Amino acid sequence: MARWQFRPPVERTRHGFRLHLAERERVAVRHLLEEMRDLLVGPSDHPALRRVFPAAYHLPEHAEHDAEYQRLMREELVASRVAGIETVLGVLDAKVLSDAQVTALMQALNGLRLVLGTVLDVSEDDEPEEIDDDDPLAAERHLYGFLSWLLEWTVRALSAGLQD
Amino acid sequence: MLPMPVAPAPQVVERPAVDETADPDRPWIVLVWNDPINLMSYVTFVFQKLFGYSLEKATELMLDVHQKGRAVVSSGSREKAELDVFRLHEHGLWATMQRDD
Repeated sequence: MARWQFRPPVERTRHGFRLHLAERERVAVRHLLEEMRDLLVGPSDHPALRRVFPAAYHLPEHAEHDAEYQRLMREELVASRVAGIETVLGVLDAKVLSDAQVTALMQALNGLRLVLGTVLDVSEDDEPEEIDDDDPLAAERHLYGFLSWLLEWTVRALSAGLQD
Repeated sequence: MLPMPVAPAPQVVERPAVDETADPDRPWIVLVWNDPINLMSYVTFVFQKLFGYSLEKATELMLDVHQKGRAVVSSGSREKAELDVFRLHEHGLWATMQRDD
């Protein structure tokens, strides 16, 4: 009998990165990314986007600077995030991914967690393994846990390539 | 157009509450604030990637953010600080900037 071996969902190989995801996991990620893209190009004051577009200048005395930053940079941030999502949608089924494509995946997954975590009002004290089945948002909490797992492995795969 | 005053009125020197022009070289600092969503490993990686910090330095900054609530991750001119804030926002971190007091 073959020895069971855990295979990480994101693996660094000598020839690039490989994604080992089940079909239904790819479908879930694709669906979430398409929703995120729609959210990003919609009304910019959507409460779920609060953490995606934070203030740059937090002091009241710099309120004018912040208004200028939001006016000039918000569009750039949206464009950058949408471009990243398009990249990921294009390579989810690819056999081999480049460093840049996995970096886009990392940023996109983090964006999804920011939005989902905001909707779920996640706090530091939340224990990810304790999800109450009666919670009407139980499914979303499991989804958040799945994204955390996938992001953790994505970061691990990319970190292995950093010079220290 | 307003007529030129014949004689200058007595000048009252008013100091603005925030003097933006006093010292253009005074550096700005970029802060990253603690939030309950971003993963510790992710924050460490972003610090390494964006600022070229060693794993040790990046981990130390991440722990400061996590335990003390915030950490200064870079500093410089207003333009540089704003670019760093933008790059951190691109990565979903809660970054802001202020003058270094």
